Amino acid sequence: MAGFKDTLKEAVRQMAFRTSVDKLKKQGVQNVNVLGIDRISALVEAAVYRSLKSRLVGGERDAVAESTKAEFLRLLRTNEDLRREKSEVEKARERAEEEIDVMRRELSQTIRTLAQRLEVGELEGANRYEGEDADIAARVAEAVALTVGGDNQGELKERMTALVMHIVSGERREADAARKALQDREVENLQRRVKKLTQTLEATEARLSQASVEPAIEKGISSIYREVQGLDATDTQAQKKKELMAGIFEANLKLMKRSRRA
Amino acid sequence: MTNEDEAGGRKDGQPENKDGKDHGVLYIGMDLGTSRTSVSASNGVRETVYSTVGYPKDHIASKLLQKDVLFGKEAIEKRMSLRVYKPLEKGVIKAGAESDADAEATMKAARDLIGEAIRLAKPRSDELVYCVIGAPAEASMTNREAIIEAAREHVDSVMLCSEPFAVAYGLDWLEDVLVCDIGAGTTDLCRMHGTMPEDADQVMFDVAGDAVDAELAKQIEATCPGAQFTIQMVKEIKERYGFVGDAPERVTVELPVEGKPTSFDLTEQLCAACSVLIEPIVDGIKQLVATFDPEFQQKLKNRVLLAGGGSMVKGLDSAVEKAMHERLGGGKVIRIEEPIYGGSNGALKIAHDMPEEYWEQLK
Repeated sequence: MAGFKDTLKEAVRQMAFRTSVDKLKKQGVQNVNVLGIDRISALVEAAVYRSLKSRLVGGERDAVAESTKAEFLRLLRTNEDLRREKSEVEKARERAEEEIDVMRRELSQTIRTLAQRLEVGELEGANRYEGEDADIAARVAEAVALTVGGDNQGELKERMTALVMHIVSGERREADAARKALQDREVENLQRRVKKLTQTLEATEARLSQASVEPAIEKGISSIYREVQGLDATDTQAQKKKELMAGIFEANLKLMKRSRRA
Repeated sequence: MTNEDEAGGRKDGQPENKDGKDHGVLYIGMDLGTSRTSVSASNGVRETVYSTVGYPKDHIASKLLQKDVLFGKEAIEKRMSLRVYKPLEKGVIKAGAESDADAEATMKAARDLIGEAIRLAKPRSDELVYCVIGAPAEASMTNREAIIEAAREHVDSVMLCSEPFAVAYGLDWLEDVLVCDIGAGTTDLCRMHGTMPEDADQVMFDVAGDAVDAELAKQIEATCPGAQFTIQMVKEIKERYGFVGDAPERVTVELPVEGKPTSFDLTEQLCAACSVLIEPIVDGIKQLVATFDPEFQQKLKNRVLLAGGGSMVKGLDSAVEKAMHERLGGGKVIRIEEPIYGGSNGALKIAHDMPEEYWEQLK
C-alpha cells in the first residue's frame, strides 16, 4: 500500500509543471492556493474508494481495487517507457543533426581542397620549366665560349643546346608523367571522398527527414478490457439483446458471404 | 471481473488468441457520417473528425504540407493546396462518380477516412480491435461491402448496424421508441419494437444538415447584397447559431463585401433555413406511427428521440413537438444528451455486447 501511495505521489509530481514566482507575478498572479502532494494523493485514493464502495460489494470491491491499482501501475510504467523511448528518439535525432553538420563542413572543406589542388597543378605545370630552360641555355653558351673559339661558336652553341634540350625534354616527359600520375591519384582520392561524403550526407538527411515525419512513438491507449466481453447475464433485457445481437450478426454474415462470393 | 492475472486469457479458459494479440480487446463504435465521423472506444477515447479527405495537388504542395493525406479541419483549412474529397454522400460512399478514376479516388478517400477514424481511437498493436460501424439504414449492399472492406484493413473484425438502431441501443431504449437521426446528408427515422428493425420500420430522406446550409446560402444571397461567403462559412454559422422558434438572441455575423468585413443580421434567415427540417421529420414520424400497432401508437409518439448533429439546432425538439401536437394530436420529443457521439456510443455498446463467437466468425 505504501508503494502505491509513493507511486501515486510520484505520478502527481510528474504531471505537475514547474514555474517561478516571478513568472506568476508577470502573469498578474498575486496569491496562489497550495495543495500538497500528500493531500492530492489522499483525495484521489479516497475518491476511488468511495466510488467503489457505492457501486460494489465486499470481495468484488477489493478485487476491483487491486485490479485498478495494478492497472494504474502498469499504465504508469508504460508511460515511463514511452517517455524514455521518446527522449531516446529525440537524442538520436539531435545526434543525426550534429553528424549532418559535421559532414557538411567536411564535404565543403574537401571540395575546396580539391579545387585548390587542381588549380595549383595547372599553374605549376605552366611555370615549372620556364626558368630551367633559360638556365640550360646560359650554361651551354658559357661552356662553348670557354672551349671553342672562331666563327663556328654560334652554330655549335645552338646544336649543343638542341641536343641537351632533347635529352632533358625526354627526362622531363617521364618526370611529368610520374608527377601527373601522383596528382591524379590524389585528385581521384579526393573525388572519391567527396562522393562518399555526399552519399552519407544524403542518407543521413533522408533518415532525419523520415524521423521528423513519423509521429512521436504512439503505442496507443490500452482498452479497459483484457478479454472479450459479451452480454451481461444480469442485464434485465439480456434475452432481447441476445436476439438483437444475433440479428446483427446474421445480417453481417450474409454480407460477408456475398462479398466473398463476389 | 478483470485483473492482471487474467490479462490475455479468455473467459472460457482457452489459450491466448491466435492473432498473437495478447494485451486485451479494444472495442470501437463508429458513426460514419456525411459531415462528421465520430468514434468512441473502450479505452476512453472519443473523437470526431470532419469527413473530408485531402491529397496534395502537386509536388510543391506535398513538400510544403509534409503529408500525403490530410483529414478533417486541416484538410478544409488547406483546401487550396489539396484535391479534396468528401467520400460520403447521404451517409454512404459516393456512387456514380464521373469516371472510373473518380470512383477509385473516392473509394480510396473513404478507406483513408475509416483508417484515420480508427487511428484516432489510438488502438494498441497488441490488442484485438473489434469495431461496429453505424451506417445509414438504407445503405445499399454494395456500399455496406465497401465500408466493411475499408474497415477490415485496420481492425480484426468488423460489423455494420443501422445508425438509428445504434442510437437507441446505446440508450437502452429498445421498445416503442422512434429515433430520428438528423445527419448532414440524410435524416433517418427508425422505430424500435424490441426486435431488429425491418425496412418497414425505417424512413430516410435527404432533408438534413446540407439542405439547411443550401437554404441558408439562398437566403443570404437574396437578402444580403454583395455578401461573399462559401458553403463552409454558412455551415459554421448554422452550427454556431442555428435555431427554430423564438430567437434566443439576434444573430449578427460578419461577411466580407468587396473585401470589407460587414455586419449582417441573419436571425430571420437562419430561423427560416433551420425550419426546413420540421415538416419532413413530422411527415416521417406520422408515417411510422400510423403504420404501427394501434395499441402502442401513443407510446411511440411519446418516445421520439432526436439525435445526430442536426438535433443541435436550438428549439428543434419543441418545434417538432408542437408540429406533432397539431398533426398527430400530441407527442413527446427528447433530444439525446450527446448528439455528436450518440451513434458511436451506441455502436460501442453493441460491440461490447456482441458474443465472442460472432466476432470470430466474421474474421
